[in-house]
Amino acid sequence: MDGVLGIEEYLVVASILFCIGLLGVILRRNVLLILMCLELMLNAVNLALVAFARYSGNMDGVILTFFAITVAAAEVAIGLAILVALYRRRKSIFLQDLNLLGR
Amino acid sequence: MNEEILFYLFSTLMLFGGSAVVLSRNPVNAALYMILALVSLAVLFLTLDAFFLAALQVLVYAGAVMVLFLFVIMMLDVDLRERSRPNIMAAALGLVTTGAVVAILLTWVGEGSTIRPSVGSVPTPGNPLAFVTGSKAFGYALLTKYMLPIQVAGFLLLVAMVGAILLGRRTKLKSSEGKDGS
Amino acid sequence: MSDLIAAILLVPLCSAALILFFFRRDADTAAKLSVGASAVAMVLALFALFQNIEIDAARISWLKLGDFELSFGFLLNGDARLLLFVVTFVGFWIHVFSLGYMRDDPGKARFFGGLSVFMFSMLGIVVADNLAMLFVFWELVGFSSYLLIAHYFHTDEARAASKKALVINRLGDIGFLLGIVLTQVRFNTLEFAELEQAALAQPELLTAGLGFLLICGFVAKSAQFPLHVWLPDAMAGPTPVSALIHAATMVAAGIYLLVRIDFLLVQEVFSLIALLGGAMALYAGFCALVQRDVKKVLAYSTLSQLGYMSATVAIGMSGLAMFHLATHAFFKALLFLGAGSVILGCHHEQDVFRMGGLRKRMPWTSWTFLLGVLAISGVTFTSGFFSKDAMLLAAYEENLPVFVMFLVGALLTALYMGRLHWLIFHGESRSKAARQASESGLTIIAPLVALALLAVLGGFVSLWPESLSSVFVQELEHVHESTGNRLVMTFGALAWILGLWGSWNLYARTRDEDPLMKKAPVFFRLCESKLFFDEVYDFCIRRPLRHVAKVFEALELLFISGLMVRGTAGIVALLGLATSAVHRGGLRVYALWFVVGLVVLLGYALAWWEF
Repeated sequence: MDGVLGIEEYLVVASILFCIGLLGVILRRNVLLILMCLELMLNAVNLALVAFARYSGNMDGVILTFFAITVAAAEVAIGLAILVALYRRRKSIFLQDLNLLGR
Repeated sequence: MNEEILFYLFSTLMLFGGSAVVLSRNPVNAALYMILALVSLAVLFLTLDAFFLAALQVLVYAGAVMVLFLFVIMMLDVDLRERSRPNIMAAALGLVTTGAVVAILLTWVGEGSTIRPSVGSVPTPGNPLAFVTGSKAFGYALLTKYMLPIQVAGFLLLVAMVGAILLGRRTKLKSSEGKDGS
Repeated sequence: MSDLIAAILLVPLCSAALILFFFRRDADTAAKLSVGASAVAMVLALFALFQNIEIDAARISWLKLGDFELSFGFLLNGDARLLLFVVTFVGFWIHVFSLGYMRDDPGKARFFGGLSVFMFSMLGIVVADNLAMLFVFWELVGFSSYLLIAHYFHTDEARAASKKALVINRLGDIGFLLGIVLTQVRFNTLEFAELEQAALAQPELLTAGLGFLLICGFVAKSAQFPLHVWLPDAMAGPTPVSALIHAATMVAAGIYLLVRIDFLLVQEVFSLIALLGGAMALYAGFCALVQRDVKKVLAYSTLSQLGYMSATVAIGMSGLAMFHLATHAFFKALLFLGAGSVILGCHHEQDVFRMGGLRKRMPWTSWTFLLGVLAISGVTFTSGFFSKDAMLLAAYEENLPVFVMFLVGALLTALYMGRLHWLIFHGESRSKAARQASESGLTIIAPLVALALLAVLGGFVSLWPESLSSVFVQELEHVHESTGNRLVMTFGALAWILGLWGSWNLYARTRDEDPLMKKAPVFFRLCESKLFFDEVYDFCIRRPLRHVAKVFEALELLFISGLMVRGTAGIVALLGLATSAVHRGGLRVYALWFVVGLVVLLGYALAWWEF
């Protein structure tokens, strides 16, 4: 199945998605959204990983992605729990209200 | 041919979803766009013959993780929209720098392989493991080569669960905080 | 045997350390500790003397740089034994006296700690077997002298005096140190024994320059011309300190240094010292004649006696100088302690014209002081007679100008010492303090009596143990065999008789002011001004130096303090401000910097990849 679709297309899409997520982390002030953007970046990396695995005919990359998803799920669970605790303490989930240094 | 159509269609959808997550002011909207992006990614996994992973993506991400997000948004039950406009300076800087990252990454693209090795569906032992489409391959890999990592991952999930429960407990008295943390 | 000497050295040091670390608040324990240490040192020293040991081979390597090695060792020859005895014996009695004198002083613990430090360093000078070790202890006595002069540091006088003593001594010590370095370069050793052999083997290596450098230390420490100005001011310290350091021992260390290194000095140097010493014997006598402060009179008297000793060393009779050093230590310590007793009795009144008539109220002090006066004046058969007469004889034989100066000096000595005694103890009481004066306790009287005994009997050679008298007995016999014996003895007797008789006539019925002021006003003014030494120094040295110092201060402010110290701090502070502006907890700013770093890394990798 030798298509025109090469690994490059996947990598381009993955890097663009990664940068979109990065931009979100830089620009947004809502911790919830920053967490989502982090997930986007993680997914972009997953895509690149699977593409590499496919084009080199190697199963290990796919397994690694599987573990990445597992860890990401755990991370989201903990992250959201911290967020909730933080919200209870500070009544806000905006970064500028959580900052104790400076200002 | 079909694959190409699928790829372009869903990568466009995915990038749109991602951009919408970054740009939308309401977190609920953002979460829904996020689901769009994740499901599109699952389809991209499909075009890469990673069927089991695609299923996992939908189940874990679009299903569990995003539900968790939405649940938290509902639970906090406050106006989570950002009140102030984003800082123009920060936005410009962010755009410039991330643009630079994309540009640099794109300059590398050029001579990648377009040939996909043919794949079977039955797992065979080997190192590295050969790419196999069947979900049976996952079971094989996880229970042979990745025996230890899968157990560690399971333990990690347990720790995450315990941690989330502890962190999520409502604390009333300040004096009891130390005990809760430990 | 070196263990014994090390023990003599270490006992006062331990006492000082214990006082410093544990008993600074517990003054009584500190005093007992210090006196006990000096008693132990005295007993050990006496023990060591009767063992009759000479040179010890045991040395401790102290500093080794390539071929160059400094070591600590002990050389206990005759001179050292004599001085060891004098220092420990006189030191012990002065410690005892201090118990009474400093009883109610708030800085008592500090004082006794200082005394112990001084004993340690002075004994170090005595037993040192090389110039480097001697120099170390030389500086230590300078330091402890500084500490003790500044004992009453709340008075401007004591502060200025301690500073003056320190600075002037440094001045001399620079020359001394250069001399030591030059000695090391020329002879490649600093050990006295080896130096003596080397100097005999290669007399061409000895030059006047080397000698002049080496005697710089002596000139400053023994307060000779032209660095004598610090000693009278040093009387601002407590009286026991003046007795111990600035009369009996430390200033005599300069003489001792001359004796130890006399083989390194050439004829020109000796001529200069003889001249300086004779002049000092004379000049200090004139100064002492008009001082009103009892301690200042004694200080100038000390200068004069040091002049005698140095001139005697210079005319080649170092044994006689050591003899006079010992007798002088006895009677001068006695005089100082007597003065201390008077000052204590009169509630810290030091002006002799506000005393008088104390003979009846302080009989012990009066009689012992009189014995001291007789001894220092050289009254026949007191200790001062034997040593001074011998020195006069030696000068008569070797150097006539010095003899004349000595003789006039002896007359002056009798004159001003007589003046001091009549003014303090005879006539009528001229102030309320003097009328209410009373004798102090046993700790004051016992040292006076002990030292008075020695001051009277110390001149009889047959009373000295052989291990001590071996230093001077030969030279003593030699000068007594000379032809001018009777003549000089007559002159000496005439000097003290004239001096004491003249002072009785002049001062015995004084009211409130110095009779010399009326009878010879020009002479009085001249003596009182001390020949304008302080003023000349002030004009020639202090003022120009002040301008130089101002320039340096400006440079220091600008470059070292301004640019280097504050500049460095400023740059660091700026960097800190800049970085802390970044680290303000802005998570998004961190992310941004993270991306910037990523861009830089990727860009670098890209460039590396492409080219």
